Amino acid sequence: MGMLDQLMYGFGIALTPENLLYVFIGVLAGTIIGMLPGLGPMSAIALMIPIAYGMDPTSAIIMLAGVYYGAIFGGSTSSILLNAPGVAGTVATSFDGYPMALKGQAGKALAIAAICSFVGGTISVVGLMAIAPSLASFAVSFGPVEYFALMVLGLTAVVSLGGRNLVKGLIAAVVGVMIALVGIDSQTAIVRFTFDLPELYEGVEFLIVALGVFALAEVLVMLNQRGQGGVRKGVTSLRLSRREIAQITPPALRSSVLGFFTGVLPGAGATVASFLSYSMEKKIARDGDTFGQGNPKGVAAPEAANNAAAVGSFVPLMTLGVPGSGTTAILLGALMVLGVQPGPMMLSENPDMFWGVVASMYIGSVVLLILNLPLIPLFAKVLNTPRTMLVPLVVVFCVVGVYGLSFSVFDLGMLAAFGVIGFLMRRNGFPAAPLILGLILGGLMETNMRRALQISDGAWSVFLTEPISAGLLAVALLSMLPALVRVLRRRRTGIEPAEPSAPTAGTGDASEEAAPTGEDDAREESRDRAEAGSATAPGTGAASGTGSGPDGQAAPRD
Amino acid sequence: MLRLTKTHVSPSAPGSGASRRTLGFRAAAVAAALPLVLAACGGTDEGAVAEDGTWSPSQPIEITAPAATGGGWDTLARTSARLLEEEELVDDSVQVVNKPGAGGAIGWGYIANNAGDPHKLFVTSPPILLVPMAGDSDYDHEDFTPVARLATDYMVYLVAADSPVETFDDLAAQVESGDMSVGGGSGPGSMDHVALAGALEAAGADATQANYIPFDGGGEALTSLLGGHVDGAVVGVGEALGMLESGDVRAVGVSSAERVDAVADVPTLQEQDIDFTFDIWRGVMAPSDLSEAQVAYYETLFADLMDTEAWQTESARLGWTDAYQDSEEFGAFLDETREEFAQILTEVGLQ
Amino acid sequence: MSEHTTARRDGAPAEGAAPGRPRGARTPRTPILPEQAFRFSPRTLGIAVAVFAIGYLALAFQMPDYTAVSVPVQPSTLPRWLGVALLVLAVLLFFQRRPPEETAPEPASGSAGSGSGDGPGIEGAEAAETAEEPAVQAQEGGEPRLGRLDDPRLEIGLFVGALVAYIAVFELLGFILSTALYLGSMTWYLGYRRHLVNAVVALTLPFAFYAGMTWGLDVTLPSGPLPF
Repeated sequence: MGMLDQLMYGFGIALTPENLLYVFIGVLAGTIIGMLPGLGPMSAIALMIPIAYGMDPTSAIIMLAGVYYGAIFGGSTSSILLNAPGVAGTVATSFDGYPMALKGQAGKALAIAAICSFVGGTISVVGLMAIAPSLASFAVSFGPVEYFALMVLGLTAVVSLGGRNLVKGLIAAVVGVMIALVGIDSQTAIVRFTFDLPELYEGVEFLIVALGVFALAEVLVMLNQRGQGGVRKGVTSLRLSRREIAQITPPALRSSVLGFFTGVLPGAGATVASFLSYSMEKKIARDGDTFGQGNPKGVAAPEAANNAAAVGSFVPLMTLGVPGSGTTAILLGALMVLGVQPGPMMLSENPDMFWGVVASMYIGSVVLLILNLPLIPLFAKVLNTPRTMLVPLVVVFCVVGVYGLSFSVFDLGMLAAFGVIGFLMRRNGFPAAPLILGLILGGLMETNMRRALQISDGAWSVFLTEPISAGLLAVALLSMLPALVRVLRRRRTGIEPAEPSAPTAGTGDASEEAAPTGEDDAREESRDRAEAGSATAPGTGAASGTGSGPDGQAAPRD
Repeated sequence: MLRLTKTHVSPSAPGSGASRRTLGFRAAAVAAALPLVLAACGGTDEGAVAEDGTWSPSQPIEITAPAATGGGWDTLARTSARLLEEEELVDDSVQVVNKPGAGGAIGWGYIANNAGDPHKLFVTSPPILLVPMAGDSDYDHEDFTPVARLATDYMVYLVAADSPVETFDDLAAQVESGDMSVGGGSGPGSMDHVALAGALEAAGADATQANYIPFDGGGEALTSLLGGHVDGAVVGVGEALGMLESGDVRAVGVSSAERVDAVADVPTLQEQDIDFTFDIWRGVMAPSDLSEAQVAYYETLFADLMDTEAWQTESARLGWTDAYQDSEEFGAFLDETREEFAQILTEVGLQ
Repeated sequence: MSEHTTARRDGAPAEGAAPGRPRGARTPRTPILPEQAFRFSPRTLGIAVAVFAIGYLALAFQMPDYTAVSVPVQPSTLPRWLGVALLVLAVLLFFQRRPPEETAPEPASGSAGSGSGDGPGIEGAEAAETAEEPAVQAQEGGEPRLGRLDDPRLEIGLFVGALVAYIAVFELLGFILSTALYLGSMTWYLGYRRHLVNAVVALTLPFAFYAGMTWGLDVTLPSGPLPF
């Protein structure tokens, strides 16, 4: 059992006291950097590379693995606490993490994030060990045709993310794709929708849109509500009840596997993985209706998936020498500086290093958990800041994040504009999640579609004749069926849902604050519940969402 | 993410998958020199000119990489900066600044705004010619002072290991007949495409018939070749090294004049009677309006750098070949190369 | 990107917020309920989206084709589809039934117009505020409500205006000065009452942030006239 020996050898190197200190430093630095606006794992690693230069290669890699995990977790922290996702991979986390924080469950949400990140990391390290060499062929089996189909599948999540007003959800998604197309077209170098502004040639940076339509819009909504309702003070304990653990375990496991395989694909990565797993869990869950209102499963799924995908992206790096994500591209650079050349020959020529990297990634995720669980109450204290001060602070946070990205005041202007747009969307029941989804997947979808057709000389049939693509498209179609049936049924019966009249301060605001779904969702949801014979009063539907038991009936808990 | 997937021209280099797809990467590693520089902005200290007319810098030297961290430009900038300090060729420190965006145009704009500042250098490669030709930059190489050409890398033309294509002529024939798609790491009209089109024309094939598929980086083009989604690929030698060694892909030609040590069994195009070479040269440039003494200082500095053993080690690892040219030669080379590119682009119908 | 929303912002609020209601009917003693502000009928939204879609389509149809090499899908192809899709969606939105809340205006929530109605409005708000506050405090643990103006639309406008001003002076004054100004004044304006704490935070936090980002992490924030 050579592999196990090798791994043990890897652990032997990684577990010296000195190296444990490095991984500790790495995780801590990564967490702090990752929490800062706009600084994700990629920048965290880039910032640590100069420090790693002079170090022993193994120690350096161990430290960088710690930075990597720490930064991903740090990003989730700002998503959950401030609705300000700093990196694309943690956007889906904010869908339920922030509503949980609003309900005073910030500690719990962060604990779920940390634990599920650990689970995702662990499962995919096992996957990496066991099947990495054979996964290389899986990674290359995806070409433009297959990526197009995968992106289409991802975009069908709009139907589930878009709340119940499908038209508004679709409008948001279409506008998201439109934003994605701004800039110089990568396939032909033709400039699209830039209004001759050089600042737009490179397209609209994802982070600007995300911070605008989530964090800034949230601040404006808070102001519009006069700060009433919304954030509850006091952070409940981190402790998860046995039932909650039972509740999040299956989604975490499923999402880890899904995330790992998505991460293995060089053209997909953590963001796509987190969205796919979120929408998958929303569809699977009996209480899928309460996703977006603080359902712990909605935190567990994307967190497990994005960490699993992060590890999965090491497969193409270490077996093909191709970085599967921006972060692994930076790591590739770091490894090369340290004299390690990842690639097809790494496992045979340099097995110690290969297993050393695997072992240190695993240790990184363990230390993350040990270090961060005690720190969570500290992070969550952010929410105790009086809102009169928190609101301007969040604005500064967004401004620093965007400015540090491009050093451009133009981008700050775009941030403000997207904040206003996001606010108006929220006020009028347009969900923001499909916009972000369209923005992230739309560009990839178009590029791969055009590449595929370029290769096939314009024959659209390739999407159906290639088996993987045909399969993914079939799944996409199937996954939309329930929603389409629902829409058609509603249209036929002609019942238009009734709006809960004049929401009362507490519950009504909570539903308003439940960012991604907006009040339409709450409204419709209460209707659906009423249809299902639940005794839940319409007005309290959204607020009591998390309390839903395994049978899917949302019984008010307090 | 969105930004870089749209970059249609970017430097090709070992590991330059990074340069093209740095998902949402922020310009993290902006050097600490900037506050100093900003503070000094306007009344720039011009450095010291000694009695004998030689010049030496009075501030830390700043090297701009007009791309994000991790790419070819960044690798060159950071490697030079580190070695200049380690080998104690400079008294003060050397800082690297990343100015990503618009295929380099953002960084060039930054340098152009600092005309006459002798402490600001930037690293450069073929996109400094190609991007302005595509009309995507307000500045071209004539707006800057060439300092030195340092090293060069070459393109390899790859097919799958089990492909019937054996020579570049086979490849050219297949491409012309429309039976073969060739992936590259950058957009149409940019480096990889020009390297393919120029070679095809030289082989007597009609380059306009080439089904060139642009990917976001050589790495993506390579995986697509491995997976059989495209039939050929054109990428930098450094990017393909690993897969050539493992035998996953096969090279039918390399764009150098003489065989490259790292891939010694790959025949050059010229050996196959195709009169075409393509260099991915890498050099250093400075803002306009530098004095002769200032240029002379940097010429010597980089010449000295390349003489060090550490540089030799690094460049061998990165797959670079030394190709030093001083300021004047480099300038002439740039003008010449631009003519050549313009001709290729016109033939392909991209100009 | 979304001119429609901006357009709405500029022109529509007065009409859009309360469509079909008698505009002159002012009820100065009642503050505008946040539920009403910035909420538009499906009809208004549909028109706004349609206008945006038409503008987008116009641009998409002006886009040049790529002719150098034959490409099966032009760069303008997808934008055209998207524009058409958005137009169709806008029509669907236009014909969506209006939520009952908007069809039947509640008597308590008369539209106080913008601009001219402010004078009495503010007084009204203050009266309402004092009356409301104990209840709010009981509920929220002593936090004052955010902001000072009666009309949430003005409040939002002012807030966005402050943000734009902050951005405008961001490079000019540098990060520390502009952020200290913004943070201090907004925190005060929004109603934070511990002025000393506010001053200390506004002065130290930007500096700490600047030091951490610029010196610690090499992410250079603008220094402005300050000597570092």
